[in-house]
Amino acid sequence: MKVRRTCLKTPMKYITTVNDEEFIIEIEHNNQIVVNGVRYDIDFQHLPEADALSLLLNHRSLEAVVEERDDVWDVLTKGEVYTVKVQDERAYRLAKARGVASEVTGEAQMKSPMPGLIVAVPVSEGQHVEKGDKIIILESMKMENELRAPKAGIVARINVAQGASVEKDQVLAVIVDEEER
Amino acid sequence: MATDSLLPKRFNKLLIANRGEIAMRILRACHELGISTVAVFSDADRHALHVRYATEAYHIGPSPARDSYLRMDKIIEIAKLSGAEAIHPGYGFLSERAEFAQMCVDNGIVFVGPPPEAIRIMGDKQTARDTAVAAGVPIVPGASAGTDEELIEAAKNVGFPLLVKASAGGGGKGMRPVHKSVDLPDALAAARREAKAAFGDDTVYLERLIENGRHIEIQVLADMHGNVIHLGERECSLQRRHQKVIEESPSFVVDEELRQRMGEIAVAAAKAVDYVSAGTIEFLLDRDKNFYFLEMNTRVQVEHPITELVTGVDIVQEQLRIARGRRLRFKQEDIKMKGWAIECRINAEDPYNNYLPSTGMITVSRLPTGPGVRVDTGVFPGYEITPYYDSMISKLICYGETRGEAILRMRRALEEYRIMGVKTNIPFHQHMMDSHRFLTGQFDTHFVEERFKMSDREAPLVMEAAILATLMAHQQGQHASQIVAPGDRDTSNWKWYSRWERLRK
Repeated sequence: MKVRRTCLKTPMKYITTVNDEEFIIEIEHNNQIVVNGVRYDIDFQHLPEADALSLLLNHRSLEAVVEERDDVWDVLTKGEVYTVKVQDERAYRLAKARGVASEVTGEAQMKSPMPGLIVAVPVSEGQHVEKGDKIIILESMKMENELRAPKAGIVARINVAQGASVEKDQVLAVIVDEEER
Repeated sequence: MATDSLLPKRFNKLLIANRGEIAMRILRACHELGISTVAVFSDADRHALHVRYATEAYHIGPSPARDSYLRMDKIIEIAKLSGAEAIHPGYGFLSERAEFAQMCVDNGIVFVGPPPEAIRIMGDKQTARDTAVAAGVPIVPGASAGTDEELIEAAKNVGFPLLVKASAGGGGKGMRPVHKSVDLPDALAAARREAKAAFGDDTVYLERLIENGRHIEIQVLADMHGNVIHLGERECSLQRRHQKVIEESPSFVVDEELRQRMGEIAVAAAKAVDYVSAGTIEFLLDRDKNFYFLEMNTRVQVEHPITELVTGVDIVQEQLRIARGRRLRFKQEDIKMKGWAIECRINAEDPYNNYLPSTGMITVSRLPTGPGVRVDTGVFPGYEITPYYDSMISKLICYGETRGEAILRMRRALEEYRIMGVKTNIPFHQHMMDSHRFLTGQFDTHFVEERFKMSDREAPLVMEAAILATLMAHQQGQHASQIVAPGDRDTSNWKWYSRWERLRK
């Protein structure tokens, strides 16, 4: 009895990452998937008019809004937005290889998340900073916002001074690894 | 007195000098009472709901508030041009500017709010404190404004810890806690500097720091005929950087006897300034149930809906009736609080990243509905959250027979709410609704900042999110490969996919 096999497409294997947790998801059938080796029955519906996905996962009903942004997916379900990276096996291996390369040139650009006014720059070029240190204070939306170092390192460049108006995505400062200097 | 210039006057057309959800709130009350509305809007707000739902709308200038919603001259000019006989200022912007209220009066326009003199007195913290004392309203022990030397001397009587506060202050600016006398000179200098920069006035005073204090405020309503009533309390202790984030009414810690005492004092404070319209007296309540006057907000508050739900009084409609010269329809004994209401302010900010504001276009906005749920908002899909105005997206308000019921309902509503395009603080509210301290009512004004951590939260549906995104990516990839290789497309997969979906219909 191999009837079921006739509706099988090529099984696709994805490596999906959420909050540093990896899931191996194999889609081998329109109504079955295997997640980390566990098989689930699924009924997956995309409702473009309602901006919604409806998934019955072993009959458990999940509803979500999913949007693609750059190369990740934002999944909103039950109030939380999950940032999800989906890669097929080939893309995953390529990214791994590239990832090693980019870690070596560890340069972090701090971009302005929104237009605003620079209230203060509590660090100076050449200074060592820890991850989470305040680098820029940006006033926007009637609030002062602290932009903090995404990683430890040396402040290689500061592009703005107190009082400057900045645009969204403008590079405000650059932090490099200690040993690069 | 000032009341003479506010002679009862019927009006049938009102200008709303505000934007966002409060402009919608006022507009709705007006239309329910048969008053036509005039909206004003900046460059950024041409598509806003308050413009589209108003009877008439006028452009007032560029997006920054100082060039539009803060332009008193323009707003008065448009009121005259459109024939609006009254102006409702909402909250923020011009709502607590005595000068603007005076301009309205001088131009024969009804200002829906208190007389200019009441705004002036309550707008200066030092004068407000003096007025409160004279009316028998308890204030936090402290020392009046003076030179640094005088304040350092006075601090010995006030005792430590204490707070240095700016006389013109608000929003925590020019405020400094001081725990040891040696730190006082520096704190005075810093507070003066900050106050000078923020308000153009470096007057500061001292107040004893009440530890574990709760922020409890009393809503009052006053008509032009000397009748003043209160509508009970709101618990507003859950704050971040002096901004309220969750409010509830009644308060877990206020019993009927305390409510009556606070209410009577609040009414006395309002009477002391010949108050008219809706107003709020903010108190600090200490562990021993002593309460102290903080300030009076001479406008409608963001959190007014929770009081509306537990008292059944439509506060904005009452403001309009009062401004038309009517007597209050309620006596104090008519006001009965029933049930429990909670408000969560939904802000465009990322609770997982130091509450950094998030700007951008709202792509999805599907509101929770059903029994006991009210959402006040001006936001819709396609709405742009800009850096020009504050980051509030909406107010989610839930009602229940009991506090427990209101909390369960709030959890349900937060789960149902779908907003995409910007980060929101919905997970913060969910985490709070699950917090043991919140559930047992054990919190003070420092709770959110000092003892509440988002890092405790474990997002519950990680695997499910992974599956959903993977299925979506898979489906998109399958369709894409049937038509054209991914590299040959000049647009994003998502856009391309949705076009494909539309073709298929």
